Amino acid sequence: MNDLNKKLILSFLIVFFLGTVALFTLREATESKIQNLNVLSSVPSFELVNFNEKIFTDNNLLDKITILSFVFTSCPDACPIMSENFSILQERFKDSDLIQFVSITVDPDYDSNDILKTFSEKYSNGNNWYFLRGDKNYISTLSEKGFFLSALNLPAGHSTSFVLIDKQKNIRKYYKGTDDAAIMELQNDIVFLINEKT
Amino acid sequence: MKLRLFYNSAVIATILSYLLIFIGGLVRVSGAGMGCPSWPKCGEGWIPPTNVDINQINTTLAWIEFTNRMFGVILGISIIILNVIAIFYFRKNHNLLFYSILSLIFVIINGLLGGALVWFELNPYIKTAHMLFALILVSILSYICIKSYKMLNSNLFKGLTSNLVLLKSLIFLWILIVIEILLGTGLRTNIELIVIENPLFSKSDQLDALPYYKYMHSIVGFALLFFSIYVNYSLRNHSLLLAKQIGYFITGMVVLQIFLGEMMIFFDLPQLTRLFHTWGSSWLVGVIIILYNCIKNE
Repeated sequence: MNDLNKKLILSFLIVFFLGTVALFTLREATESKIQNLNVLSSVPSFELVNFNEKIFTDNNLLDKITILSFVFTSCPDACPIMSENFSILQERFKDSDLIQFVSITVDPDYDSNDILKTFSEKYSNGNNWYFLRGDKNYISTLSEKGFFLSALNLPAGHSTSFVLIDKQKNIRKYYKGTDDAAIMELQNDIVFLINEKT
Repeated sequence: MKLRLFYNSAVIATILSYLLIFIGGLVRVSGAGMGCPSWPKCGEGWIPPTNVDINQINTTLAWIEFTNRMFGVILGISIIILNVIAIFYFRKNHNLLFYSILSLIFVIINGLLGGALVWFELNPYIKTAHMLFALILVSILSYICIKSYKMLNSNLFKGLTSNLVLLKSLIFLWILIVIEILLGTGLRTNIELIVIENPLFSKSDQLDALPYYKYMHSIVGFALLFFSIYVNYSLRNHSLLLAKQIGYFITGMVVLQIFLGEMMIFFDLPQLTRLFHTWGSSWLVGVIIILYNCIKNE
């Protein structure tokens, strides 16, 4: 075998080796993204009221991919950013009837149905975003025990996390609702859940 | 002896930089760019966590990104060694010394650009700059390699007559390949931006939404093929076997790249194809520099 042929064979082997390593790495990366979305727990049963006075229960989460958050309308810092992010996601997924958004007020004493309606008109561009209210203690318990999100000193002490819930009412993952990178991750995970075979 | 040492360390640095471009491509293709959410540290520590995360860090992605950084450091060290040899032995050869220092500057800049990518959460312009600086770095290193190779084997290159038209076409070919890579990176960035705004788009929707210059990428690709065949034709009677071999390599690589590019459009195996599409084109950049200096009469 001459020198050139040896070099050619060696280069092919190196490229083949790199390709194999890359294929393995890519598979691991995909696998890790799926594992990050494993079922964490199931959504508890609950009953709240939408601002149009229609009852909304955990059964409304069935067969939908839901993004849920706890907010209040007079909140100065985090909530406007969180709601703006909901708005952006709602716009980007407007062509899918699988997606819905749920905002639960942690200040039901102040957030009357009228105020929630005005808030909704400010941020929502569709009818797949529910603004729910109920008894303050009930909501506090739902947040802490049902969704494992801190709810000390409501309304100010509410969590700024978004919860991703799949079509079987399973909690899949939490995201920082005010962080752009987390919102991008949430967006990719929503696409994954849309394509997920059930 | 000293020259051989310098040549060997230049070859090692060049191979490492191509390997680094491959790993960088792997980071982009696997979506591990933000695997380490901070820079230069990876999350809380200098090394990513090995067990399952507490702070929602995906450890697999963190290790992919961390490997990229580690190879960057190794490449940096190899270029520092190259510079030490150059400073000790080639202080009077301003050419080799100058380009060695230049490669050190570029590797440092590109390391910082990698950090900026994390700080600015994968800003598409910084991504392109990171790629462009890597291409310039392999060009400089390839230049150092062929220059010192020529000094080592000066008898091989004696009595060559320069073909000016051929040299000019090689410069043109190099500019064309860099433009082609930037067009390709631009297209990829555009697809990423389209996907952000329209997460529900299918692949054909994404391609439809691309601006008109998607055709430019194909047109320039075929122009590259045409010119590389022309280069081979001009080299047909060349006395240097090495030059002819490099000529064949260039044409073969261009054909392979066109093939991989078409595969990405018509078949659904995007990740690995994308990786080799990017990596193969980066080889062309350095190899054209080598061919140019190979047939140039000093």
